[in-house]
Amino acid sequence: MNKYALIIEEFACWGCKACEVACKQEYNPIDATNGIKYLSVWEDGPKVMNGKLDFMWRVNVCKHCEEPPCAQACPVEAIMKREDGIVILDYERCNGCQLCIDECPYHAIGFDDEKKTVTKCNLCHHRVDKGLYPACADNICLAHCIYFGDPAEIEQKILEKRKARGGWGDILPNAIMVSRE
Amino acid sequence: MSEFRYSNIEREMEVYGYDSVVKSHCRMCHGGCGVIVYVKDGKIAKIAGDPDCPIAHGTLCTKGLASAQLAYHKDRLTYPVKRVGPKASGKWERISWDEALDTIAERILTYKEKYGPESVVFGYGTGRENEAVIYRIANVLGSPNVLTAGHFCYGPRISTSIITCGTNPIADYENFPKCIMMWGNNVTISNPDEYKGEPFSVALDKGAKLIVVDPRLTRPAARANVWLQLRPGTDAALALGMLNVIVNEELYDKEFVEKYTHGWEPFVKRVKEYPLNKVEEITWVPKEKIREAARLFATTKPAAIQWGVAIEQQINCADNDRLLMFLMGLTGNIDAPGGQVLNRTPNVVNVGQFGAHSMLPKDQFAKRLGGERFRLASRFAIIQPKCVWDAILEEKPYPVKMLFFISSNPVITRANAKEVFRALEKVEFLAVADFFLTPTAELADIVLPAATWLEMDYVSDFWKRHGYILPRRKVIQVGECRSDHEMLNDLAHRIGQGQYWWENFEKALDYILHPMGITWNDFKKMNYIRGEVKYYKYKEGGFSTPTKKFELYSTALEKMGYDPLPQYREPPESPVSTPELFKEYPYILITGARQPGFFHTENRQVPRLRELHRDPIVEIHPDAAAKEGIKEGDWVIIESRRGRVRQRAKLALGCNPRIVAAQHAWWFPENKDPGHGWDESNINILTDNALEGCDPAMGASNIRTLLCKIYPETKEGCHE
Repeated sequence: MNKYALIIEEFACWGCKACEVACKQEYNPIDATNGIKYLSVWEDGPKVMNGKLDFMWRVNVCKHCEEPPCAQACPVEAIMKREDGIVILDYERCNGCQLCIDECPYHAIGFDDEKKTVTKCNLCHHRVDKGLYPACADNICLAHCIYFGDPAEIEQKILEKRKARGGWGDILPNAIMVSRE
Repeated sequence: MSEFRYSNIEREMEVYGYDSVVKSHCRMCHGGCGVIVYVKDGKIAKIAGDPDCPIAHGTLCTKGLASAQLAYHKDRLTYPVKRVGPKASGKWERISWDEALDTIAERILTYKEKYGPESVVFGYGTGRENEAVIYRIANVLGSPNVLTAGHFCYGPRISTSIITCGTNPIADYENFPKCIMMWGNNVTISNPDEYKGEPFSVALDKGAKLIVVDPRLTRPAARANVWLQLRPGTDAALALGMLNVIVNEELYDKEFVEKYTHGWEPFVKRVKEYPLNKVEEITWVPKEKIREAARLFATTKPAAIQWGVAIEQQINCADNDRLLMFLMGLTGNIDAPGGQVLNRTPNVVNVGQFGAHSMLPKDQFAKRLGGERFRLASRFAIIQPKCVWDAILEEKPYPVKMLFFISSNPVITRANAKEVFRALEKVEFLAVADFFLTPTAELADIVLPAATWLEMDYVSDFWKRHGYILPRRKVIQVGECRSDHEMLNDLAHRIGQGQYWWENFEKALDYILHPMGITWNDFKKMNYIRGEVKYYKYKEGGFSTPTKKFELYSTALEKMGYDPLPQYREPPESPVSTPELFKEYPYILITGARQPGFFHTENRQVPRLRELHRDPIVEIHPDAAAKEGIKEGDWVIIESRRGRVRQRAKLALGCNPRIVAAQHAWWFPENKDPGHGWDESNINILTDNALEGCDPAMGASNIRTLLCKIYPETKEGCHE
């Protein structure tokens, strides 16, 4: 069972992209002219859903699956799942073969053309291990829709929020819950 | 899990080895958000939100997070320069602050002597909280002309609210409205003026119902209980239609109407002129939906309106603002907890006093450009940009010889950009204070390096109506950059205003705070100060208006010779008002939807923000695109009667097929030509600034709704 998860309730996301920039701030020097980031916010729609024009923002980021197919696909064992649930890509070990990219059902693995390695969110494990929230989850989100912590507790919090909203947002978050099914 | 804490300062310091930390207050937009700035080796290493901030509660937007990239940008102007070639030649030479300010001072005094102080026009755009300082130097000089965005941004809310109910009513998210009507606004992206997306978002999470009035499908519109997709520019008709429902169905607060309003009967008569059949025809919104929204808003208590600038950049500017206030008032939500509160600011020297408006002599007030035409604006020290361009180009009613723009890029942001460019080319002397050599600065004689919010001390938000002041604390010094406040304090001494200014600007901060009996040194140790919190204040003292009532029938407007009751005027260009033109330009063009990361013309050179939006985007419905031969991602030409620009097409189902929605404020800092592509994608090449199309009371330029055609760019012109 995972101890940690990063869960984003996309229903509540406004597309402000603060999480993207917080991620860039964590992983790039200030004078970097282009920034590596491990999550991206994108528009799903507008499209007609259930006879109504709708659109949502989606946040693409590693879901730290229970049984990560990317890890299984990696020939050099550069991707490992830790006991606490965080799926870590070892950038030193990655040989850039990109086999993991196709295996990820969430399209959450990218490729760094300069360093010739794949890229993905390591859930800011360097912060988490020191008791700090991941950069994107450290209360910057104005919708308070980025959760970090115990997946069961987060699920509970989201259910309570939905109830308070009067049932709004009965859409499964892009959660780690998906991988439990 | 208890070990985790948001914005854990001690642990961040320990883990990353930061040397120091400063709590401050961001000003990448209109400000508001408390921030924590971490410093290592004398440089900013990280910026985070401050959970102790009562405004944004520790959340922070893209702009705030990327502020350090702005401050340390390699292209930033870090010393004063003077132009040594023709205008827009890009030839600059470094000079000292003394030479720069002495030259500007000499020009001011010469023009004052030869043409009168009114020939010197100061200006700011969205400001850097420098507004009161700029007004002070102009008023003491005797110039009635400070050119701001006030004619069509926030100034109308201030002016119309003062004459209607005494002050700007602010949506009270702290007490969780149960219904929120978001009108021509997306607070989650724009974080405008008093508002931040965070409290709005929390109110929705508490169960507030949501009504959204917007011609485009935004995420809030998609999430709304009722979305009113109106024809652009018809807000006043829609509001009158909703008021018609509220009056006819007696959904209004009867006690409020009886005891606290002025002009109920003539108001009802006016509202009856807008039955729902007529309103549906004008607005394109089905009458059932208008009724549904009016009922939901009027019967859910408390309810608030999230409003903003879009409704002000129209011919109906002042009436739009008033009508939304009427919706707040008649439903009993004015000064109600969870409604729309008339906040009390802390007891400090207010912006009006600091701006020294009372020092402007009466005969100089009378010379305010456009003052006879735009009388409401003039009363609030606001002027219309075209009146300035005319005074430069045609010297009517008198010549303007000098412009001093401090945080303004009017070549990109004001209507009819080509005319703005011509005026700036012609004006005898132009000084600019800014972060970069913008397209406006490239036309200047002298450009001064301005400080960002990270480089100054200030009493933040003291001009706002949310009831708080917060300390902005200086973190770094970049090159020779100076805050606009210090720069103007210095300049004031050089033009003989010394007795009205201070030895240094810290003393001015002491002056602002002195009514509370504290100094800047005391204040900077505090988190914030809040004014007295009290609701329904009008029940004791009435409203601060001439009749002491909430004025549905404006006695002030009547006195100025305007219609005292709100009305709907058709946009100057529309399928209805100009059907012939519509045949040639068959789409309604709307402009100015906000993008995360940008603040009007700002931040297009900041990598972390520009990465969010590489190109200017125009949204068009897939059916319209197919008809015009436009495909997703194509560069297209958008053309109005006044000119043409190129943007990139995005096919969007959320756009009505009769409407295209273009982005505003584009220029290209990466283009090293001194024009920096100012006329390539700048939507204000297309907008009109004819005074007849402006709001008659405020002079608001109609930049949001016009007519255009749109077609694919030819191969020859394609840059790809």
